[in-house]
Amino acid sequence: MNLIIVAGTASVANLVTTAAQLDGETLAVVVGSRAVAERIATSGVDKVIWFGEPGDRPLEAFAPAVAQAATAARPQVVLGGRRPAERVLLGAAAAALRAPALIDVKEVTSQAGTVMVTHGVNGGIAVTTREFSGPVALMVDGGGVAPVQGAAPIEETPAATLPMQVTAVQVTAVTEVDLAAAPRVVGAGRGLRAREDLSIIEALAAALEAELACTRPLAEGLDWLPRDRYLGVSGQHIAPRLYVAVGVSGQLQHLAGVRSAETIVAINSDPKAPVLAEADYALVGDLYELVPAITAALEQP
Amino acid sequence: MKIVVAYKWAADPQEATVAADGQVDFSRAKSAVSDYDAVAITVARHLGDTHGADVVGLTVGGPEVATGLATKAALSRGLDALMVVADPALTAAGSTGTAQALATALAGVDDIAVLITGDSSVDVGAKLVPAVVGGLLGWPVLTEVTAVAIEPGALVVERAVSGGTEQLRIDGPAVLAVATDAATVKAPGMKDVLAAAKKPVQQLPADPVVADGTLRSTARLSGPARRGIQISTDDPAAAAAELVSALRADGVLIGGQQ
Repeated sequence: MNLIIVAGTASVANLVTTAAQLDGETLAVVVGSRAVAERIATSGVDKVIWFGEPGDRPLEAFAPAVAQAATAARPQVVLGGRRPAERVLLGAAAAALRAPALIDVKEVTSQAGTVMVTHGVNGGIAVTTREFSGPVALMVDGGGVAPVQGAAPIEETPAATLPMQVTAVQVTAVTEVDLAAAPRVVGAGRGLRAREDLSIIEALAAALEAELACTRPLAEGLDWLPRDRYLGVSGQHIAPRLYVAVGVSGQLQHLAGVRSAETIVAINSDPKAPVLAEADYALVGDLYELVPAITAALEQP
Repeated sequence: MKIVVAYKWAADPQEATVAADGQVDFSRAKSAVSDYDAVAITVARHLGDTHGADVVGLTVGGPEVATGLATKAALSRGLDALMVVADPALTAAGSTGTAQALATALAGVDDIAVLITGDSSVDVGAKLVPAVVGGLLGWPVLTEVTAVAIEPGALVVERAVSGGTEQLRIDGPAVLAVATDAATVKAPGMKDVLAAAKKPVQQLPADPVVADGTLRSTARLSGPARRGIQISTDDPAAAAAELVSALRADGVLIGGQQ
């Protein structure tokens, strides 16, 4: 038996397909609305446990219910997504099972009571394969909504929840950037001399219809860009069709965050910058000359 | 009433190297209070000052977390006292093992109003330890917390959610992982550093914790093979034209094939 944790969204196709490759049936525990539970029931899992409508309770309030279900099911593998509530509920299951918890899972197989997991470590700068004989909790990118397949029974179970309640919600107009979904991304690094100079990178991003991203120092040391725009380690990992690294030296952590890009362009004045060796197109030179030239070239019909 | 802050004494991964066999080497990396945990300590200090509560730090890890360098670095950020669980067995502890050590230490502390943690550690970045600690203690857990206030018997919490913020009320103690920008961190001054040397540090014994399975192999990260095409930049305009036409041919520009 393997268990997938669903929290508020049915966008867990990767969890379902990962679980399907493992030994044993898939049980989905669903925290969220009945609509989510019903959608999960038709995603190819074998059974669904649903804890009822959350009402004004945050999804995290259902941690004891998820823990109880995990304890009762005695799963070999527990899978959960990367969103905040998914992490909290995965952690609750790991706690209940005293199971190791791993992130950045790239491959998982199970056979005769043994689970082999290959996962990125230290922000994805290397990968490790580990063997587990007991239960293990794994964080996997949720992915989209699985295609309709089968119709698993939904068992509605009354849930013990934690004493927490949402008392107010404010919606802000700020549009969230989803770097992971962007087909093209331009990343800025310390090669930029001043915050105002971001404008030339922004112009390039606009000409490419790309999202703007940065290395960690720009988001955290200098505060030139919001923190949801930095790539690497605890930042984001992306796999766009095109990544343009401008004035980025190419620390391991940053490269780990962008390595899955289909095409990488690197622009750097330092011929020894590590990013140049990781690029499909390397331009050694002054970004203050090259970037406006590229923007102009893109704008030509 | 106590406010406890769990923090990690972590090596800077920017200084880590990866060998050909995928072994990560932190031996030349300098350790510090993990960046976001400094935010957590700052939030806890404000909260402690507002409510007249003691702010107690808690860290678990290998023997290095109990050195004077490490404990003073944490105390100088505004903690009143420190609890340390240092044991070689905890050096390689994963999220669950680390959480077990933290939960065991917390079980011996009375009158905790809240456990505050950072968003994620600088070296691992799993964002899981607060969740597992909460699970082990049976406490509510919230992440991305931007503000917290203590009311009689309850915590009033604001957190960032997709597209806005939420206010929540929690009865009893909770684990709150604060957002990376929940507070502005100031570097400790000379007075803070001197005061840190006089603050109490309590060392606690380590219980056995769960291991992260059995290591079978390590490898370097591999990505798609790169073409390594150098474009001459003697003439920026010519370089730009060459790049744009190459990218267009690759089909990765706007309107390119999927």
